[in-house]
Amino acid sequence: MAGAGTLREALRALLPPTKEELTLQLGETVERSVVRLLREAVELFCGGRGDECLQASEAILDYSWEKLNTGPWRDVHRDWRRVYAFGCLLKAVCLCEETGDAGAVAAALRVCDMGLLMGAAILGDILTKVAAVLQAHLPSGKRPAPGPAQEQPHEKRRNLRPQDSNLLRSLSWEVVGKFRHSPSEDIAGTEWQRGNVAHPSCIFLPKARHDHVRIPDVRSERTVPRLRCPSLQHFRKHFLVPGRPVILEGVADQWPCMKKWSLEYIQDVAGCRTVPVEVGSRYTDEEWSQTLMTVNEFISKYIRDEIPELKRDISIPDYCCLGDGDEEEITINAWFGPQGTVSPLHQDPQQNFLAQVTGRKYIRLYSPQESEALYPHDTHLLHNTSQVDVENPDLEKFPKFAEAPFLSCILCPGEILFIPVKYWHYVRALDLSFSVSFWWS
Amino acid sequence: MAEERRGSWFGFGFCGFGQALGSGRGRQVHSPEPLQTPGEDADVCRVSASWSYTAFVTRGGRLELSGSAGCAAGGCRDAWASEALLVVLRAGPGRGAGTELQAWAPGSALSGEPLWAHTVGPEAEGEDAPGGEPQAGALPLLPGARAYVSPRPPFYSPLAPELRARRLELGAEHALLLDEAGQVFSWGQGRHGQLGHGTLEAELEPRPLEALQGVPMAEVAAGGWHSVCVSETGDIYIWGWNESGQLALPSRSLAEVGKTAAGEASGPKEDGSDVRTAEGESGGLAPFIAIQPFPALLDLPPGTDAVKASCGSRHTAVVTRTGELYTWGWGKYGQLGHEDTSSLDRPRRVEYFVDKRLQDMYTSKQHGGHRPNPRW
Repeated sequence: MAGAGTLREALRALLPPTKEELTLQLGETVERSVVRLLREAVELFCGGRGDECLQASEAILDYSWEKLNTGPWRDVHRDWRRVYAFGCLLKAVCLCEETGDAGAVAAALRVCDMGLLMGAAILGDILTKVAAVLQAHLPSGKRPAPGPAQEQPHEKRRNLRPQDSNLLRSLSWEVVGKFRHSPSEDIAGTEWQRGNVAHPSCIFLPKARHDHVRIPDVRSERTVPRLRCPSLQHFRKHFLVPGRPVILEGVADQWPCMKKWSLEYIQDVAGCRTVPVEVGSRYTDEEWSQTLMTVNEFISKYIRDEIPELKRDISIPDYCCLGDGDEEEITINAWFGPQGTVSPLHQDPQQNFLAQVTGRKYIRLYSPQESEALYPHDTHLLHNTSQVDVENPDLEKFPKFAEAPFLSCILCPGEILFIPVKYWHYVRALDLSFSVSFWWS
Repeated sequence: MAEERRGSWFGFGFCGFGQALGSGRGRQVHSPEPLQTPGEDADVCRVSASWSYTAFVTRGGRLELSGSAGCAAGGCRDAWASEALLVVLRAGPGRGAGTELQAWAPGSALSGEPLWAHTVGPEAEGEDAPGGEPQAGALPLLPGARAYVSPRPPFYSPLAPELRARRLELGAEHALLLDEAGQVFSWGQGRHGQLGHGTLEAELEPRPLEALQGVPMAEVAAGGWHSVCVSETGDIYIWGWNESGQLALPSRSLAEVGKTAAGEASGPKEDGSDVRTAEGESGGLAPFIAIQPFPALLDLPPGTDAVKASCGSRHTAVVTRTGELYTWGWGKYGQLGHEDTSSLDRPRRVEYFVDKRLQDMYTSKQHGGHRPNPRW
């Protein structure tokens, strides 16, 4: 295991070479007193006064955290998120300066993850690089594989590819759980994940662990049309412009071939990373809550089965180039959770390609024109969420819902569903499921 | 130990910018220390503290700043400090010119031109106390109660005269108003329940708190995302965000650090599930509260009547009729004054003041009192 010395060197190598470059260009929004404190913290750091730098970093973090919690997330000024990230950077590095023991490194990694989750990119996305170095200095988080395992005791840790790093940063881990007496709890910046949209995804707990999974008979329902690798023009003319859902088959076949996605891989590359987890039976229920935990904790607590290995890698569908934005503006999110996970009926403000990687999902789609029959919440926070439980609707309370037309499908691995902007969608995982969504405009 | 005369000010909490807290050593003061106030302590009639600096106003109209901003100026009736803006009420030039409201950048040392200025009409003068004493401590409410200032745009907001505002307090994203009849109003963002109307919805205009109608209030105070009011009979009502126990309700984050007052610290049970409850004192299970969207009555020890409440961004302080000080909420910077940096989700008396009688805190029309650091 690498000692504190090499860790310290590796971290220092990532930082800008001079004190003057270890700085942020900030606008008027950040008050002078904060700018002064930032400068002071850098002075302390460069002067080798680690303990005092830690104190100053804490003050920077606490102050900027309060700014992150003021107002809706989308209105939080980017400079405050950068200040927060900067505080995380200084704190993480200071934590490891003295000792390289696993406890300090794990704490520093957690700080980095908070900076990545809630901060904004600074100094050439330095937090990602620092996190990678810290990870390399932690013992592997693999849990013993069940059954015949091809464990190699001193297996070299696999490196995270840059594209996976982005994917993992956006990973949302859904969990089955129902806790007694757990009133709604929010963590700082609740709406930060998933491209700054308050995105509901709730969890359905089967009555017994080996309950028979209800597979809907989609033959009796109108199904989403399917197309095999349509041309860009065809897709645009017949689906994107008129806003019609479609399942694209064969697109994933063209993605690079790489056997990679398995629990072992995820644990190996991300086991010690901190991710947000949603817990509870319904976003709108009192028992819904969010919490933070490491990927290892999540997997050991909630995932029983291995995921079938995916044979294909994940790429941005070419069709996204039909949108207005740059490639950087496409929000990619990964969704990983056990069988039974439910996302209640809701709509998103962007176009969406939902690529199914492993496991199947039952999905129902309602046109935005049917919104009235879907009884959206009238609160501002939840106006993009329906009050109706799609597979168990209260028709006395929501009578119009029974007549609302819809399309449905069972989305299987390798298929990509196009969900037009504002199209209402409901999702239930029929198996342990891994999906990737691409939000674009 | 510095002298503590009658009418002394004390302070504790974050002082990372050299604000005049006691000895000024280090970045935090965990136990009350006498304040280094300008001139005679008894002379200070108003203290307004922001995160990085503090403003003192004396009876003689002298304003002094300490901390990240430092300066002195005369002719000031009242001051209100925030990181972005220092708002000052100054005697206008000439006879009958009324008072002038000025907003300055804190680092400007009040030299040059203010960022903006607004003449407060002479009719406001008539609202002074019968003794003719200037109403220091009313900011951000302006004399005449026709408008108030804010550190965020719009900086100057009118108030409907029908509101008959007696007192106004600003949180990070909400406002509280107490009228002449003791009715509390709130408006602004409500995502943390800080408006007290039972929802998480925002309110654009002052809306009365129906839950408190019929209970005349004597005081209101606003924290970053929570609200407090004190009734004329000494009861405390509190609502909003409880993430650090600032509502004196069981807080999950504190329990996870093992500090909840409501019994055993909770932790994962052997089968891996979390016990997310707190043992109530009667042995029943009490839920953790993150957000309290309507007023809750707070229990202080029997026989204690509150007379004044004041809030930091995530903590709360109350002075009782008998001169005691209770604090709770976020304590990381020693702002609770209990000689440590623990956060608390129940009220705890500040022992330092046990043999002293506190008269007031923070904003004062009377002599003396203490000042808990208002932000942290």
